[in-house]
Amino acid sequence: MYINGVIELRYVKLPKENTYEFLERLKEWGVLYAPVKISEKFYDFREIDDVRKIEFKYNRTIMPPKKFFFLPKEKIFEFSISKAEYNEVIENVEPFIVFGVHACDIFGLKIMDTIYLDELPDKYYKVRREKGIIIGISCVPDEYCFCNLRETDFADDGFDLFLHELPDGWLVRVGTPKGHRIVDKNIKLFEEVTTQDVCEFREFENKKHQMFKYHEDWGNLRYLLEMEMEHPMWDEQSELCLACGNCNLTCPTCRCYEVQDIPNLDGDTGVRIRRWDSCQLRSHGLVAGNHNFRPTKKSRFMNRYLCKNSYNEKLGISYCVGCGRCTYFCPAEISFVENLRTILGVKDNSCPPEVAEEMPKRGFAYSSSMGGEE
Amino acid sequence: MSEKVRVGFYALTSCYGCQLQMAMMDEILHLLDKVGIECWFMVERNSEEDREVDIAFIEGSVSTQEEIELVKKIREKAKIVIAVGSCAIHGGVQSWDKDKEFNELWKTVYGDAHVKFEPKMAEPVEKYIKVDYKLYGCPPEKKDFLYALGTLLIGSWPEDIDYPVCVECRLRGNPCILIEKGEPCLGPITTAGCDARCPSYGIPCIGCRGAVKDVAWFDSLALEFKRKGLTKEEILERVKIFNAYNPKLEEMVNKIFKEGE
Repeated sequence: MYINGVIELRYVKLPKENTYEFLERLKEWGVLYAPVKISEKFYDFREIDDVRKIEFKYNRTIMPPKKFFFLPKEKIFEFSISKAEYNEVIENVEPFIVFGVHACDIFGLKIMDTIYLDELPDKYYKVRREKGIIIGISCVPDEYCFCNLRETDFADDGFDLFLHELPDGWLVRVGTPKGHRIVDKNIKLFEEVTTQDVCEFREFENKKHQMFKYHEDWGNLRYLLEMEMEHPMWDEQSELCLACGNCNLTCPTCRCYEVQDIPNLDGDTGVRIRRWDSCQLRSHGLVAGNHNFRPTKKSRFMNRYLCKNSYNEKLGISYCVGCGRCTYFCPAEISFVENLRTILGVKDNSCPPEVAEEMPKRGFAYSSSMGGEE
Repeated sequence: MSEKVRVGFYALTSCYGCQLQMAMMDEILHLLDKVGIECWFMVERNSEEDREVDIAFIEGSVSTQEEIELVKKIREKAKIVIAVGSCAIHGGVQSWDKDKEFNELWKTVYGDAHVKFEPKMAEPVEKYIKVDYKLYGCPPEKKDFLYALGTLLIGSWPEDIDYPVCVECRLRGNPCILIEKGEPCLGPITTAGCDARCPSYGIPCIGCRGAVKDVAWFDSLALEFKRKGLTKEEILERVKIFNAYNPKLEEMVNKIFKEGE
């Protein structure tokens, strides 16, 4: 509903005892995917048969939800050399539901949209994005999370429904007309939100906020990174790096892909495929003539830090959403967050810290050495 | 294409598993009208090593004096030489203990037996001749054969694989056994292409496709293995199974064990 410039969302409550029934009903809207435990410690989004296997309190999935829209590996077209033509292979995608998406990952998808749904949309991404229903779920941070510092800890949009945990159920924010229809179709499963529920919602959000490991302002981080290209951190940390690509491949916003032509044995036809790429791989910067614009492991290592911390103009946030995957899934135990904090100056006392923990500041206007007054 | 592409498949010391893999491909039937087999003893009775070929596939490690002569001859007669499998590319498992005295190794395996040829330490084909392309693996994947052949048949050149197994392991959606279980998985330094076959079964990568050319960070991996409690000897023994000839391996691992502690 849109009234006088105010977006009025709809809020309903899903009582706890109706949760599984609701999830079961979701299957009427398409194939249901949700987080499940795939090994001793790790989670991933998988197709759900038994809704009781869904994990509501998972930390992070090893594969980000972008995998549903930007496939890890896909055929993009078939070609014939003799006919000098190619035919795009765009699958007929059936509707599907991704349940249990954390706020940071919803921002991840929004970032993907700014790239792949711009004035020249990626057809393969678009067709899946149009068919995907996104149902968010509230979460609390672990030691790897820093979405609060990225301002991606609460999703305003980018979901059809968002479920906020209450002691006795879920406070559901309805985000799209499709979300409305899902609620309306199952209206008997829902109740009205009470004052008590709103109190519980506030309580949850407050508690969540306090649970974050760091409370500091990262506003000038992207500039400091550019200014601190000679910092010893780069050498020390890139030395540890395995260049395995895990950080990129688990990132909810990495969107580079590699293409390869695979000819058939007829000497004429073939297919072009694409797969997720990683800027930590040597071939990422390899261009014609065997030139490489990122010839060293260090230059590739630095690239990710700069790319992730650059500014997404359309959303006004950085490309990193603070999900913690690149640290959590790094086999070399390199901490992205701690390295950024080193650059920020909050760890290393040899240089005055750039950020005072007790006094948040942002931009030039707040800088002590700038401004109009004496 | 009017003329047939002449192909040869030559075996040095090996298990013949690579050529078996290739001979077992159904797709090979599509090649019959385009490809003439000049030499491939496993599938063609009328085979001769002396004929000229467009593409020579060589499997096996150079392990006898005769094989040194054979690879040189193949190189002279072939336009393109493709080393197939770990033995041809890296010397294979038979070179695992290459730093030991050859006679000692010989005695361990053969005792006092006599053979009709003159044996030597197993070595990669590239040690003796220029190799134009490599099909990694023990044995290589079927799709790698198809890709290389298909690309050469359209007159183009196949891409080398220069990224590690981890990439494919993540694309497959596997959990990471190196992080989670502390298993000594060689995925981070091993050439991809197998679609993370072993890690997908929860088995740590043993590195059969060999270390990624120039970008295998043995030092970083050794550091991580050290943190997980492996000794230098254990690390070297594991990585050497398929990488004994890697010129950077020992130096990079030693660096980690020299530093600190």
